[in-house]
Amino acid sequence: MTTVDDETARPGRRDPAPALEVSRRPNPLERLRHVWRYRELLGNLVRKELKVKYKNSVLGFVWTLLNPALYLVVFSLVFQEVLRVQIPYYAIFFLSGLLVWNFFSTALTAGTMSITSNAQLVQKVWFPREILPLAAIGAAMVHFLLQAIVLVGALALFRRAPSFEYLPAVPVAFLVLLVLAAALAIGLSAINVYLRDTEHLLELTLLAWFWLSAIVYPYSLVADRLGPAREWIASLNPIIPIVITFQKALYNPDPARFAWYTNSPTFDPNNVLADQAAPAIPDHPIGWYLTHLAAVGIFAVVLLLGALWLFGRLEDDLAEEI
Amino acid sequence: MTIDDIDTTTATASALELPAIEVEHLSTSYRIHVGATTAWGGFLDLLHRGSEKDRVVPAIRDVSFDVPKGSVTCIVGRNGAGKSTLLRCLAGILAPQEGRVVVRGRITSLLTIGIGMNGRLTGRENIRLGGLAIGMEPDRLADLTGDIADFAQLGEYIDYPVETYSSGMRARLGFAVAAHLDPEIVLIDEALTGGDSKFQSRVAEKMNEMTSGGRTIVLVTHGMMAVLEMASQGIWMHQGQVMEKGDPEQVVAAYMRYCRLESTEMDMD
Repeated sequence: MTTVDDETARPGRRDPAPALEVSRRPNPLERLRHVWRYRELLGNLVRKELKVKYKNSVLGFVWTLLNPALYLVVFSLVFQEVLRVQIPYYAIFFLSGLLVWNFFSTALTAGTMSITSNAQLVQKVWFPREILPLAAIGAAMVHFLLQAIVLVGALALFRRAPSFEYLPAVPVAFLVLLVLAAALAIGLSAINVYLRDTEHLLELTLLAWFWLSAIVYPYSLVADRLGPAREWIASLNPIIPIVITFQKALYNPDPARFAWYTNSPTFDPNNVLADQAAPAIPDHPIGWYLTHLAAVGIFAVVLLLGALWLFGRLEDDLAEEI
Repeated sequence: MTIDDIDTTTATASALELPAIEVEHLSTSYRIHVGATTAWGGFLDLLHRGSEKDRVVPAIRDVSFDVPKGSVTCIVGRNGAGKSTLLRCLAGILAPQEGRVVVRGRITSLLTIGIGMNGRLTGRENIRLGGLAIGMEPDRLADLTGDIADFAQLGEYIDYPVETYSSGMRARLGFAVAAHLDPEIVLIDEALTGGDSKFQSRVAEKMNEMTSGGRTIVLVTHGMMAVLEMASQGIWMHQGQVMEKGDPEQVVAAYMRYCRLESTEMDMD
């Protein structure tokens, strides 16, 4: 829909409705304007997402808090007790990575299905369709904030402070994460209308992606085995710089604890992790983290522009194909 | 034709007289994917529209008409004549392949029943969501919610999820929303079939009120009586083309003649 200049804005009429050429598709700038004009709808859709998700459940939002806690119990059991990978304060380490991942996977899963699950609205009313995947991202942000409470709880429980030196990088990392998630959600939401395989493929992809993202195990565990090419290989997974930035800033074990581990009687020299005196997360200055985030950021912005282009291409037949 | 061309001749006249909807040489078609295409092939087809493998079914062919402000335009025709597709194009939901549609005024599209209601939300929440999707001002919407609930006669059900409603209740809510959101243009597709007779008369009353209030209505219907009673303009569509338009009585007469002709042909088979 494009606004047509109706030369004289009809005199004597209150609230003149602009003439719309509904048959023409808007350019990217007009798209942004439309989204802004419909921001109130965006807010309502976010509320709807949150409400419908926990409809008819007794615990409701408690599930959002329970999710990381239950994950933590399972992974602590498997890694600390069964596999005996010794990481001090594993709870804090795991939760800081999981926080990033849960946002990413909820945003992508809900975003991909956002248009198909709102079919009734799409078929009957015109509004900027980008609003739907964006609402899924907004709902994921609310879950992110709630799950951050669990992490803060873990920090308080173990009496660990975050690393204040690296904390400024966290908002940057989140912004990059937001753009990346938005790009993928917008693109996938439109593709999913035509190819419903997308949502099934995404489920499997996310499972593999989770294990490749250094969330349950420390990044150095793999990075050290990759040798000199590690920077290059790791950069293939855009989520890793975001995850390790969160871990670096929020997981701040006392270096003395490592000495305690290496000297402890339970220390196993064959244990890949414990035998490195180096910390679990790359020990680089904050600039190193910011540079990597910037690289992912540029990639994410390019991806977002591509996704918007694709969305515009596929949008015309959305209501018909849905 | 460019945007600047429109209305330059009438610019000096009162802009109020510009038609509410202008449809010029509108054409659109459905593509039906024939044969088994691979997922990837199907995806590529999306980017290169109009692949040879698709069968193209024209839905609307070179349709042009104006809808004057404050008029009631009734569109009649058999199933599959392209009436609903046309309404979707007017609402901006479908993008036509050729031609253009210019709309002056805020549109409420009551395509089929209800404005895309979500069963898991309550009536009240659906009113808010639908109103915002149509482009209502949030404050104005809040003021109107009570009126809408009253008109739909839902009582306490307004705070129950829509999935608990009967189809008549849904239809009532749908119409109430569309009628109260202060639209300047209302598009209605067979919505009058829902609801009991008592509600039907309230619908007719509301429609009269809307037209006398200077609103523009485009109605797709099978009820010839409705056309004769309300319409100020009639359009008969057949196989995506406009067969007859103008005076409602003439349009209805032409359409009825065609229907009779066709039924006698069927009798002879």
